[in-house]
Formats: sequence, structure tokens, C-alpha cells
Amino acid sequence: MRLRPAIIVMTLAVAGSSWAEAQEPRLVGRLPADARLHVDAILDSARSLGLPIEPLVDRALEGASKQASGERIVTAVRRLAGELQIARDALGSRSTSNEVTAGASALRAGATGDDLARLRRLRTDRSLAIAAAVLADLVAVGVPADTAVAAVLALAEFAQDAEYLALRDNVERDVALGASPISALGVRVEANAPQGDFGATSSRPPARKP
Amino acid sequence: MTERDMLLERVAEVLKEPVAIDPDLDRRIMNEVRAGPTVRAPIGPVAWLIRRRVVSVSPLGGLALAAGIAAVALLGRSVWQATAPSAAPPSATVAATAEPTPSLVQFVILAPTAGTVSLVGDFNDWDRSATPMRPARGDGIWSVTVPLEPGRYRYAFLVDGQTWVADPSAPSTFDDDFGPPNSVVTVGGS
Repeated sequence: MRLRPAIIVMTLAVAGSSWAEAQEPRLVGRLPADARLHVDAILDSARSLGLPIEPLVDRALEGASKQASGERIVTAVRRLAGELQIARDALGSRSTSNEVTAGASALRAGATGDDLARLRRLRTDRSLAIAAAVLADLVAVGVPADTAVAAVLALAEFAQDAEYLALRDNVERDVALGASPISALGVRVEANAPQGDFGATSSRPPARKP
Repeated sequence: MTERDMLLERVAEVLKEPVAIDPDLDRRIMNEVRAGPTVRAPIGPVAWLIRRRVVSVSPLGGLALAAGIAAVALLGRSVWQATAPSAAPPSATVAATAEPTPSLVQFVILAPTAGTVSLVGDFNDWDRSATPMRPARGDGIWSVTVPLEPGRYRYAFLVDGQTWVADPSAPSTFDDDFGPPNSVVTVGGS
């Protein structure tokens, strides 16, 4: 086959650039080489699925900073990639990176894919990144997961992001002052959404606390 | 036969007659060609570059060449990013566009016996040395203020370069994949 050298060089350049693009430069020198290969493969797969890459890179860098083993880092990144995919599937393909990332945090806190899908339906015309993040924050201060889900859903149709954040801040303050998390949330939410059912008859076990 | 038909027949007869060509035509054309500028075939490096040839590349050689080209492309991009001027100062960008406005967030921890404390998290690529904290008043309180765009960030304090400590004044996350717990801060939009 007779080919012009310029065509060969251009073809190889395109192929080489694609290969280089798949490498995450921030991981170079931070992760063991074999772990980096696995993480790059996960990133490549996530990229092809349209999932946000940033939280995956952050998770790998956290592991590196905490001097975790390569195997543990790969496991953590793979687990998070799975959660991002569940969140994206629940929130829809048009959801933003921030929404998918916050949705994955909510899943880790104990929410379900169905919970996120309901939140999406109730909040179709607004971002739910803050709502999902506050859900995770409420669980983090000790509110049972299903109670936090019920509260966030009760406010979803009308609450602004600032109201979600104010709710979270108030509950945190109440808990710091000695109130039980579920009582603090109930009082704060019922002031705005008296029709809410905030999990007083919870059947879901409380989310684990680190 | 109409007058029109007669006209057409006369025209056809004229067109059927052979065209008389000036016997000197060939000579005059060749003289014009010889008088024009001479076009020469390329020689030297130009001819070498455009000449077709057979190139044999082994798979291994091709991969090595691709890796080299990729390295050059990456290096070039890094240099370009490092030297390219930013579009505008951050404050000007905020004023001119709808980009999210960073909020200044202060992080504080009480660590009376610590020699050094660093803030490490999603916002600084978990770089242990990127955000050192400073003793605020000399009574063991360390603090630092960082600009954060709207979002949810995980972080922890690193005391004396070896002990990870969650922020006692912030909720802890459930992302404990690596043992020591993290804290979380959620920054809202403007």
C-alpha cells in the first residue's frame, strides 16, 4: 500500500491524542502506576457514559493523600462510579454534573434511586443539586434517612435552594444545642410544610455514622 | 417548401462545408508555447517531501510513534495553558457573566498542641500542602479562609502531617472509604 507520510503522521497523531486525552494528568505521580491504570479505565468508562469525572478524580486523590493502598483506591472509585450511574439513571440523562454528584451523595447517605426520581419529578424546572446535598447533610447530622427523604420531598415543589440551606443550618444548630435530630427536623419542616410526613413511623434503619 | 425551410437548408449547406484551417496555425501555436515560462519539476527537499513512497511501520513502531506524538501534544497543551493569558480577572468575570460567585468560607479548628495544620479536600485536589492553616490568636485556634463556588465539598484537617481530623463543627460524610472520616460543607448559589 502506498501512503503519503503526512497521512500516516496525521493518523498516528489523532490516535495518540485520543490516548493522551484518556489519561487524567492529576493522577500522575499521586497513584501507584497499576492503580492509575485501573482508575483511568474507570474514568474512561464513566466519560463514555456521560457521568461526571470530577468526583471520581477527587476520590482517587483523597485515597492517595490518605496513603491508601492502590487496591482500596480502585475499589472506592469503582463504587462511586456505580453510585453516580444510579443517580444519573434516576435523575435522567439531562441532569447536570452537580445534580448527579449530589444525588450520589444522597444515595450513599441512604436515599434510593426511587427517592431521587421522585425528587426530580417534583422539581422538574429547578436544579436539585442543593436539595440532594441537603438530604445527605441531614443524614450526616443524625436524621434517619427516610425522614430526611420525606422532609426534602415535602419542600421540593416550592422551596428555594436558600431555604433548603437554611433548614439544614437550623437543624444543625438545634442538634448542636441538644435537640434530637428527628425532632429538630420535624419542627423546622412543619413550620413550612405542615402536610409533610417526616418518618415518625420509620421502618428504615438509621444510616450509619462514620 | 416554405421560405423558412429554404433558409434552414441554406444554413445547413454552409455548415456542412469543411472548415479551412490556416496551414500556419500549428507553427504559430508552438511558437507561443515555447515563448511561455518554463515549468520545472520540483527538485531537492520539496520533491522529497511530496514524492509518494512506500512506508513500512511495524505495530510496535507505530505505537511508539503515537506515544511520542501524544507526549508532544500534551506538552504543547500544557505550555499553551501555562502561558495563555486568562480571559479576565475573576472579579471582572463575575461582573460580566452569569458564572457562579465564589463564597468565602472560613475553616476553624482548635488544635492547641499542633505544630502544623492543613486544610485538605475536594477543592484543592486533596493536596496536603496546598492550604496550610495559620494560628489565629495563639491560643490553639487555627483558621484559613478559602473561596468556594456553589457545591458540596468534602474535606478534613491534617494535623502535624499525619493525623486526619474531621471538622467538629460540621457534619461528617458517609464517604469513609479510606478510614478517617471527612466533613462536608455545602455552599449555596447567590
